[in-house]
Amino acid sequence: MIAEIFSFFYQFADVFAFLILSAAGLAIVFGMMGVINMAHGEFIMCGAYVTVGLVHAGFPLPLAQLCGALAAGLIGVVVEWTLVRKLYKRPLDSLLATWGLSLVVTQGMLLVFGSSVAGIGTPEGSFMLGEYSFSVYRMVLFVAALGVLAGIYLVFMRTRFGVHARATMQNAAIAQATGVRVNRVYALSFGIGAGLAGFCGALYAPTMTLIPTMGAAFLVESFVTVVVGGANVLLGTAPAGILLAVIRTALNGWGGQIVGQIGMLLAVILVIRVLPEGMSGWFARRSR
Amino acid sequence: MFKLLNGPQTLGESRVFWISFLLVVSVAMLYPAAADAYDVGNVAYLLTWTFMAMGLCLVWGYGGMLSFGQTLFFGVAGYAYAVVATNFGGDAGTTFLALIIALLLACTVAAVLGYFMIWGRVNGVFFGIVTLSATLVLSFFLGQTAGPEWRIGSARLNGFNGMKDMPALNVPWAGGEPLTFEGVPLYYLVLVLVLVVYLGLRVLLNSRFGNVIVAMREDPQRAELLGYDVRKFQLATFVIGSGLAGLSGVLYTSWGQFITPASIGLPAAAMPIIWVAFSGRSDITATLVGSFIVLWVFQVLTVYSQQAALLLMGAMLLCTVIVAPQGFVIGLVQGMRRLMVKGAAPGAPAEGEITA
Amino acid sequence: MTVLLETRQLSKRFGGHAAVSNVDLSVSAGEIHCLIGPNGAGKSTLFKLIVGLHSASSGQVTFQGADVTRHQPFERVKLGMSIKMQAPGVFKELPVRQNLRIALQHHVRPSELTAEEDRLLELLGLTADAARPAGVLAHGQQQWLEIGMALALKPALLLMDEPTAGLSPEETYITGELMKKLNSEGMTVLVVEHDMAFIRQIAQQVTVLHFGEVFARGTIGEVIADARVAEIYLGKTRDH
Repeated sequence: MIAEIFSFFYQFADVFAFLILSAAGLAIVFGMMGVINMAHGEFIMCGAYVTVGLVHAGFPLPLAQLCGALAAGLIGVVVEWTLVRKLYKRPLDSLLATWGLSLVVTQGMLLVFGSSVAGIGTPEGSFMLGEYSFSVYRMVLFVAALGVLAGIYLVFMRTRFGVHARATMQNAAIAQATGVRVNRVYALSFGIGAGLAGFCGALYAPTMTLIPTMGAAFLVESFVTVVVGGANVLLGTAPAGILLAVIRTALNGWGGQIVGQIGMLLAVILVIRVLPEGMSGWFARRSR
Repeated sequence: MFKLLNGPQTLGESRVFWISFLLVVSVAMLYPAAADAYDVGNVAYLLTWTFMAMGLCLVWGYGGMLSFGQTLFFGVAGYAYAVVATNFGGDAGTTFLALIIALLLACTVAAVLGYFMIWGRVNGVFFGIVTLSATLVLSFFLGQTAGPEWRIGSARLNGFNGMKDMPALNVPWAGGEPLTFEGVPLYYLVLVLVLVVYLGLRVLLNSRFGNVIVAMREDPQRAELLGYDVRKFQLATFVIGSGLAGLSGVLYTSWGQFITPASIGLPAAAMPIIWVAFSGRSDITATLVGSFIVLWVFQVLTVYSQQAALLLMGAMLLCTVIVAPQGFVIGLVQGMRRLMVKGAAPGAPAEGEITA
Repeated sequence: MTVLLETRQLSKRFGGHAAVSNVDLSVSAGEIHCLIGPNGAGKSTLFKLIVGLHSASSGQVTFQGADVTRHQPFERVKLGMSIKMQAPGVFKELPVRQNLRIALQHHVRPSELTAEEDRLLELLGLTADAARPAGVLAHGQQQWLEIGMALALKPALLLMDEPTAGLSPEETYITGELMKKLNSEGMTVLVVEHDMAFIRQIAQQVTVLHFGEVFARGTIGEVIADARVAEIYLGKTRDH
């Protein structure tokens, strides 16, 4: 009985981790700058590739993963400085431009690296509960997702950078007038968003085949979570993650992966129609 | 009505333009006499995509609604044609019945989705996200229809492999054998359709309808306050533009006698956006000319490397947004015009400047 | 005199805040009616309720004898309203002539459109700018263009929210004279305004709003003489 309940929780935790880890970076970029980063999947891919490359070079896995996240973050800062910066307040153009970038990167990687690269295996370790066997690594991912949420909370709520960032989110012009280096906030925020995407890729690298288009597997999920959650990462992304994970787990169980994906897309369509600002907008309005 | 071929919403209205237009049409009509059947069929193939491009130009460039749903309607119509043509066989005009049913179905789906979005005040980026999501839903759904239970009548949907070997468009012809539209006959059919659609859109865009839709693109509230039910105009625009994508879908399916979910999902869904953004979405002629050129370049490149072709598409999209958001073809035309104005006598009106 | 526009107990609440409360307003055919009041009095909200950009929480709006409370703005325009909002609402990317055409094409035949456009351009002093995008016009010219578009609808009732915002005193005066001329030809006008000189120039009937309610109403002479009205504007009575 306990095993059954835990089994459901395990599946939920698995989906929840996937949603949170893939969406966190996108949510920060969208919430901060109103930019829809269609190249989000490529930062994930970057984190995964760097991780795998370093592991093959002899690095221990956790260190390689951190480096993967860092690499993606640094590249994110460069991308922000050269491209995204020109596209604030132009959500349609930022969507198109980052989509173009995504195509360039994935096709470029396919040309240079070919379609697949030797991966790394999932760290072993499982535990039993009743008749079910569960992977330890999957639970690590769940803990990592919680850690990411906690980290975002700490950074945005308890640091000076966080205060500056939230001020910029509310009203960039006034924030700048009070001395906040808005450009730096944007660059760092995009870097954090890209770094979180890289972290997601790094964490999932041991569980997936590495192909240049692997980012696409995360894109739909992360998008749906961000749209359903709304612009506020803490108020929106986390509850959206919970809600969508429940829905997805139920749909997966009933009809399989494809039904789950279709269900998520239908959820996006419904939420945009009914709750245009996502759950964070709904929460914000209720508290007024 | 012919006066409306020229107007405030379309570039190119001088005598020079129309003479060039007639020249191009004449060359196009005579082309099959000079080229071999393979090339002719290929040009016909390239032209079948232009309906989808012109439709998106109407919806996005003139109507102000970014729709990622062109391949959705392409797929709906393509699959509908395949299903109906497969079920009813391929003679005595049933294929044209299939074409009509397919177009009607695409327009109906567009009307339903459009009503849902427009009356729900979904606009801007979210319009794009909803249409993209709907497109992906169809593509995912069709991708998993591999089993034998997925059939409509005698037509199996076949999952990722898609449907094939359905009858191509044909009509009963003198002498017993039906005239199948492939090669040269298909070329002429598509060419005539392109001309009808292009000229028809010019007339539509310069009419009162066109005046209203560009106004609602600029400022929907202001357009409403001038007494127009903006929602109805937006819906009509969306249905027409999506129906044109459906036309592309049917012609494509008939040309190749196959249709797969790959034509619907990513990266296919991004392609019309790239053609139209690159060409210049705010003008129908720029879109027609630019899209044809881009399609041709893409085809040439794909022979060498599909990755290189897609990479170029991505780079073009990137460059367009950063360097020439109004579109490169339009940018080129504007540049040429400025050169010509400098050359003209001072005081002479610039070529193409809005005149009554 | 026939009543052209009437609101009965019209109210609008946003969350817990009542922006407009139980407003009874009556505009008779052929008059120039001004809606005034201090900042935050609810004038713009009331304007939007009459026009249809806000939906009423309670109460009724009647226009030309028809209950339009639940009507969309475009339906009210079709019944004979013509609306000019506070922010300049011209189509900035479209040429000036095109702006007028979109308004005119409702009831002008295609063959006569150009002549009508020319006539309006002449009236507004914009003939030289006909082909330029409306966004390059000076602010005052944009306001006039928009008034021109509103007039092109040949409305029974012209509604304007602060039409002289951003205009110089000369431009304000000319606008006022234009209003009076149109009114003498039979047009009814309802204006929300701040500019007391403009109001004194054109107003015949005035309704004063304060905290969302009707505070006073009457002819322009009566309202100007009313000490309580001066008090809500200036915060002190005239006796001091």
